[in-house]
Parts: sequence; structure tokens; C-alpha cells
Amino acid sequence: MTRSILVVDDEPAVLVAVADYFRGQGHVVDVATEIEEAGALLAFRRYDAAILDLRLTSLGGSEGLSLLHEIRERDARMTVLVLSAYISREARAQALEHGADGVLQKPFPLGDLERLALGTERRADA
Amino acid sequence: MPDGSLLERVLQPAQRQALFQPVVEIVGPRASEHYYEGLTRGPQGTSVESPQILFEYARRKRSLAAVDRACTLTILDAARGLPGQPRLGINVHAPTLALDPGFVDFLAQTAAQNGFAPGRLVVEIVEHAPPWNAAGFGHALDALRAIGVRIALDDVGLGHSNYMMMLECRPDYFKIDRHFVAGCHRDFHRRAVLRSVAELALQFGSQVIAEGVETVEDLETVKACGIGLVQGWLFGSARPARVSKAPFDGPERIIHSEDRAAS
Repeated sequence: MTRSILVVDDEPAVLVAVADYFRGQGHVVDVATEIEEAGALLAFRRYDAAILDLRLTSLGGSEGLSLLHEIRERDARMTVLVLSAYISREARAQALEHGADGVLQKPFPLGDLERLALGTERRADA
Repeated sequence: MPDGSLLERVLQPAQRQALFQPVVEIVGPRASEHYYEGLTRGPQGTSVESPQILFEYARRKRSLAAVDRACTLTILDAARGLPGQPRLGINVHAPTLALDPGFVDFLAQTAAQNGFAPGRLVVEIVEHAPPWNAAGFGHALDALRAIGVRIALDDVGLGHSNYMMMLECRPDYFKIDRHFVAGCHRDFHRRAVLRSVAELALQFGSQVIAEGVETVEDLETVKACGIGLVQGWLFGSARPARVSKAPFDGPERIIHSEDRAAS
């Protein structure tokens, strides 16, 4: 079944790798390198899953939390995964509290990402 | 991203493309072009190639006025390639008019540099979100009218293109959104809205443009509702200036609603 996925990351190599992986599985993927671009896409398009890298902005900062809030206000059913090279216990808890379904620490197997983003497993702490 | 941020790419002239779609007068024995609306696309292959995403992105980057100026440059530059000496519609966001005090002078100068007298311009005012500077908006509209620019209120019937905006803009044109036009020939309620807007515009001394006219049946219905100007695929999609028709010679395709339903 084809799903629509938004991938947000400011690292082009990661963005391309993740997007290519999901496109290779037959899914429709939009990519964004900035939080404002992600917000604009979310304002007009519907996604089954959003995968957000926290390096775009500190989760403690208002922008990342605002985006999570915005996603949840628009679509309570969308799966939202937060990725990070490093994330503290507090930031992980904050992400989940503000609407993320899971937090995944880099590096990770793409198969795990697919399972969490498109599978039924929710609130996963990898 | 090869060249800095996405916004930097958007602001590079070579990254933007201008397309033009005719607004057509349907009163009289033969349809004729009334003006061309200029439409901008962002960098090809990016999310902001779509104008909706582009302007929402600009708004979130707090750069709406800069992007409106950039798009105005692109439209006026490309419009030199249009056939004849047509009028030209340029989309401008209401907050840009309200908050960028130099915009009207910028528009007039850019138009002059590209051979457009202000009297050939129609500024199409697109959605706004409160709070905003009503006084600044009013001054900008007065300045536009003073140099001969006509005003169109876009997306009438949706969002913030409401009665308050009609009063503030006193537009020369009401552009009624395609939502109320598509399928109007088989929907009494849509026809009621169209007639209501046509009557309101008459009271204002304005004209109505029906957007999204795609079938002969809707065209005939719109005309029967008292609307004299239309825009839509029936008369031509948005396209680069160099491939716009010269001269305008009526409907591009004859599409009946049953054909559209089958396609």
C-alpha cells in the first residue's frame, strides 16, 4: 500500500538516503530541509507519516515544539517520528509529550525506520 | 541544498518562472481577452515550485514582501513577451501592501522599466491574516488607484476575502473562487452564490471574474448568472508568455461536463 511520507532533515545525505529508501518501497515522499518548509508542506498536503530530524532546531526551542503541535492539531492520526544523532532523556520525554510517536537515535537501520514509521508499533523508544 | 537556504534560491531571479493565464470577457458575440494574470513558480524540482507552498513558506520565513517583490519582477520581465499590449494582473499579498511602504513605488518603477503603464496593471489582492496594518493597507490602495492601477480581490468567498475586505478594497474586480464555479450548472446553491456576488458587484460598480471555468455548461451558467468575465482551462491553462496565443481567439477547447467527468 502506497503511503505519503514527509522527511525533514538538514543533512542532504541523510535526506536523500531516507527519501530514496522509501521511494524504492513505492511510497510518495516529500522532503524539506527547513522547519518553515516542512510547515508549509504540512499546511497543504496530507501525510501518513512525518520523520523529523531534531538537528533542524533544538527541541527545547520553540520551533521544533511548534511544528509538533501543528502536526498534531492538523492530524492526530499521522505517525510522527523524531530522529537525532544525540538526544537527552529529557528531550526524548519532551518529544513524546508534545506529540511524537517515537524517537530514534542515529545511526539506525532503515528497515527499523520503516517499521516504526509505517507499521503499527507506536511510542517506540529505539 | 546546493546554494544556501531555500529562501536564497527563491530570491535568485533565474530560479523563478512566470506563467500567464487569460481572464476572458464573455459578453458580446465573441470572447475576448480582458487581461493576463501572471503566476510565479518557485525553483523547479523543489517543494516551493508550487505557489501555495511557496507563499506559505515565505510567510513562515517572514519574507512575504521580499518574495512578492521578487515575483513582481519576474512577472513584469516575462510579460514583455506577451502578444500585443495586454493588461496584466499581478498577485500581491495584502500584508505586503500593508507593511511594505515602498511597494507601490517599486511596482510603478518596475512596470515602467518593462514598458508597462500603470493603467495596464491589475493588482490582485490575495489572502491575508489578521492582525495587520489597516491604515497602511488603505494608503497603499489609494496610491495604486492614484497612478491608475486597478484592484481585484482574489478568492472571493473563501477565508479572509470577506465583506470586510470588500469594504476595505472597494475592488474593481471580484474574483470568485473556483469552489463556487466548478459544477455550478448542476448545483442550485452554487448558482445562488454566483448571482449574489454578481448583484453585490453591480452595487459596488465592479465586475466579477469567475475562476475555474472548465466546461461549456458552467460557462453558460456563469453567463446566465450575470457574470461577464471568466478564467479557467476552457480558455487556456497557465503557460509561458512565449506560447500564449496571439491574438486571443476564443475557447481553446470545447469541453462538456460529461467529457470532464469521463476524463
